[in-house]
Amino acid sequence: MTHGLNGRRVLVVEDESLVAMLLETILEDMGCAIVGPAATVEDGAALAGQDGLDAALLDVNVAGRQIFPVAEALKARGVPFVFSTGYGEGGLPEEWRGAPTIQKPFTEAAVRDALMKAMGIAQA
Amino acid sequence: MDSNDRRDEFRPPPNQSGYGALDGRPRGYDLNELKTSPGAVDLAAAFDASPNPYVLMTPELTIVAANRAYLDVTGSRLADIVGRPLFAAFDSGDDDEGRENVQRVRASLTRARETRRRDHLAMIPFSIAQPNPDGTVRFQRRLWSATHTPVLGARGEVAYLLQHTMDVTDLQQAPEPEVSPATISALDVIARGSVLHRAQRVQENNERLEQERSRLVDMFMQAPGFVAILTGPDHVFQMHNAAYSQLIGHRDVVGMAIRDALPELAGQGYFEFLDGVFATGEPFEGRESLVQLRRRADAPLDDVYLNFIYQPIRDEAGAVVGIFVQGHDVSENVAAAERQRLMIDELNHRVKNTLATVQSIAIQTARSHQDPATFAQAFQARIMALSHTHNLLTRTHWEGAALHAILEHETEAYGSGRISLNGPPVALEPAAALSLGMIFHELATNAAKYGALSTPDGRVLVDWALADQRAPRLALSWRETGGPKISVPDRRGFGSRLIERNIRHDLAGEIDMVYAPDGLVVELTVPLQREGGS
Repeated sequence: MTHGLNGRRVLVVEDESLVAMLLETILEDMGCAIVGPAATVEDGAALAGQDGLDAALLDVNVAGRQIFPVAEALKARGVPFVFSTGYGEGGLPEEWRGAPTIQKPFTEAAVRDALMKAMGIAQA
Repeated sequence: MDSNDRRDEFRPPPNQSGYGALDGRPRGYDLNELKTSPGAVDLAAAFDASPNPYVLMTPELTIVAANRAYLDVTGSRLADIVGRPLFAAFDSGDDDEGRENVQRVRASLTRARETRRRDHLAMIPFSIAQPNPDGTVRFQRRLWSATHTPVLGARGEVAYLLQHTMDVTDLQQAPEPEVSPATISALDVIARGSVLHRAQRVQENNERLEQERSRLVDMFMQAPGFVAILTGPDHVFQMHNAAYSQLIGHRDVVGMAIRDALPELAGQGYFEFLDGVFATGEPFEGRESLVQLRRRADAPLDDVYLNFIYQPIRDEAGAVVGIFVQGHDVSENVAAAERQRLMIDELNHRVKNTLATVQSIAIQTARSHQDPATFAQAFQARIMALSHTHNLLTRTHWEGAALHAILEHETEAYGSGRISLNGPPVALEPAAALSLGMIFHELATNAAKYGALSTPDGRVLVDWALADQRAPRLALSWRETGGPKISVPDRRGFGSRLIERNIRHDLAGEIDMVYAPDGLVVELTVPLQREGGS
């Protein structure tokens, strides 16, 4: 079921190390290679400029700042991404409503489904 | 006036043709007309015979009657004054003082008419025209003491005004003569007595007014809110109370235009609001309005939030002459509301993040504990460490926690004698507090299992210091001594990964863990001022 994600390079931006460690564990279990994790918007923006990214998992509120500049950069480059947030989709500004979002705390299945939806990978 | 309280009125009996004759124009007055029906008291004769000078006039101040004493004291003839306006008959001379005297007497008469109460002029200069032998007139300056009494008609309206005036020029000019009681005439007693009485009444009134004024000023000065009176188009400080003085840092501003007195307000809009109130006469109200004030010389501006009102002060003609400034410092309320908003935002965010954190701890702890019993113990201990840091943060409304308190809690289970905590007070932001709480929990747990706290003689020395005041950094060392010989572990467990990730990732710090033979040494540095939270 997760073969569609196997070997994909996924950027993780998450300021809380325990949550980042959990995402790493989940993504590694799905066969993904982790880029990051970045703990700040600046570090995330720098990593988002790298070549060869297949997808990104973006915490909306990173150390008190919003992730949207990184999302803009990824969108411009055509890299699919998933927001993760403690506020739910209602916490997103109007222009980002409808973007794939996972809510904290998240299950492994939620992370996988959101990534596959964002990447346009049909689920078995 | 209360109908039962007529002591201040002179009320003519009914059916007096003389008093009732003013149905048309004032006319020459025959005092005999004051005679009433047979058997009644002859009031007209009494009026005329009184040693007290009286003149009776209409509410519009046209003379209708005067008694003999009045004619004597003013040196006038009845026929010359009756039917004439009072100040045409007596004009006090054609100079500034004369006009001012007329103005004062007119004001007293007006008060008596408007308030329908007796009005006193304790001492009033008023010049009297004296004909010279050659037909010219010269004015002689005299001092008077006068009472103006409203005479009410049948329906309670002011029908007449009665002036009782006494020439007190001699009393004023000559010192009180040393006279024996036997030589004082009855008139002297009456005259002086009534003058003194009058002066006393005026003085009492003045004292009462002064007391009221000083009570108002006291209230003004002691009001808990700030109050200031600005005068003129430049808003010159006329007076302000203690609260206002405190608001502006006790600067001496009285007599200064506000633009000179509080120059730091330029560009904040308040001068323009004041100009607007002065120009339009419309009050201006501000709510939770941010004002930046320089309350200490050479210090940065203080942010103060004020509820205030600028109220125009008008003169009798209705023109704006100044502005009454009144308000309260609501900075604490604004700060409290802001703190509450931040708390709720932080709470929402933290609850979900905390659940994700707990989820992560559970999954990672499960990976290193195959035995459910040891998993439960390790998982619970980590949750309790997290929970305790939450408790510390809750005590300060999530503003931060003290490093010492966090260290103490994570190590106290092993006995205070075995752990030395040494360093200055350090306030940690919530994110740093949570991370360091987890880190010290992992270090202490590790020491209890494998390190210095696993033997009776082992000790842990924790020392810290603050470096670089402009960008403060916490430098902390955790040194274990007296424990078993240790070596670098074969594989890095969740605990050590968590420690390193927290320091580098969450706190943007640096960490060095040295597995020295006689005990673990951890050196870490963490910047203390980072943007935002987690």
